[in-house]
Amino acid sequence: MSRDDDLTAGHLQELRRGTVVLACLTRLRTPDYGYSLLESLDVLGIQVDANTLYPLLRRLEKQGLLVSEWNTAESRPRKFYRTSPAGDDLAALLTDDWDRLTASLHRLSEGEEP
Amino acid sequence: MTSLTDRYIWAAVRTVPESERPDLELDIRDLIEGAVEARTATRHDPAAAERDALSELGDPERLAADYVDRPLTLIGPRYYLDWLRLLRTVLLIVVPLATVAVLVVRLLTTGSIGGAIGSAVSTAITATVHIGFWTTLLFVVLERSGTTDGTMEWTVDRLPDLPDHDRSARLPEFIASLVFLGLFAGAIVWQQLRSVVRDEAGGAVPLLDPALWSFWIPWFLGLIAAEALFALRVYRRGWSWWSAVVNLVLGLAFAVPALLLWAGGRVLNPAFTDAVGWDPAVAAGGGWTAGGIVVAAVVIIAAWDVADGFLRAHRALAAHPARPLSAHR
Repeated sequence: MSRDDDLTAGHLQELRRGTVVLACLTRLRTPDYGYSLLESLDVLGIQVDANTLYPLLRRLEKQGLLVSEWNTAESRPRKFYRTSPAGDDLAALLTDDWDRLTASLHRLSEGEEP
Repeated sequence: MTSLTDRYIWAAVRTVPESERPDLELDIRDLIEGAVEARTATRHDPAAAERDALSELGDPERLAADYVDRPLTLIGPRYYLDWLRLLRTVLLIVVPLATVAVLVVRLLTTGSIGGAIGSAVSTAITATVHIGFWTTLLFVVLERSGTTDGTMEWTVDRLPDLPDHDRSARLPEFIASLVFLGLFAGAIVWQQLRSVVRDEAGGAVPLLDPALWSFWIPWFLGLIAAEALFALRVYRRGWSWWSAVVNLVLGLAFAVPALLLWAGGRVLNPAFTDAVGWDPAVAAGGGWTAGGIVVAAVVIIAAWDVADGFLRAHRALAAHPARPLSAHR
């Protein structure tokens, strides 16, 4: 990878950091287990590695933003995550902020002076 | 699942506390099996899928550290600058002091230059290693104990002084002063221990009266140390009226006792003058005695040194034109 590509990748990573949290909190309003969440995010173009996502889910659970339960009905036990009421509130707040930033960036790129 | 998965899980969970292991094991097994399932669903054979999935998950210890929020740095950004500052300060203070102390003590006790330098170098290395190790260990513990008190918080008062662009110009003078003072102190010690003049028994005959060791030689050695500190001060801060006055006091503290002792005939060791057959009271030519020449030389040098101090202070206090900061470098 050339230096320019590295640079681009670094900036993209910076920009996307944090959006994975918002995506998880939003998506897990419908309960799901880890790998299925990963694939559904991937389909939507939100790319995240499994070794990043799993520790993240566990951290969000510790922070009380997600709740989990083990589903033992299937062939092997699977951990299902669901957004908690606190996580729901945070997701709403983050979404508002995201929208506000998007609007601001549009106004900037249209050359609007403050 | 095969032993490969079990080995991966074991490699991960063994790095976390016992109490968290069962929970973490379930989580990681779920993660691996999810990843393998996703692969076998498409085209891989199970063994290749497992190997592929584990490769993608990467170092198990890193994964476990991510799970339990364990820092993967020895000293993270929170403490790095404090660590660096403390280490630098302690090293700059302790290592030179310890090295010089060992050098002087070994030189005086053994008299062997080579041995003293060897001891001093080994002390410098040992002190550096110990300070580096213990300071770093302290911060590694701080980093992991997770205290967040603000005692080391940065404030505006900690901004450094601007670099003094005259300082580098004063460096040669500073080094010359230190070399001269070191030679002077060395000569005083050397003439006592290893004088070139020997008595019949082969013992050294000191140039200076050994009776002076009771007070005046320590006095002059102390003055030499004070002069060295003063030279350091001038190197760092430049000349000022204050430093010119200190220079005057130091000059008087040296010249006045030296002249009084010389006038009283108490400087030279009688055994030395006898051994070399030299009497400073005898005229050396032109009506001057050797004793008179010494007195004149001490007075002229002392007066010049004092006047020079005031002259430099006057020059230094003439205003400097402002320069851009980058010109200091």
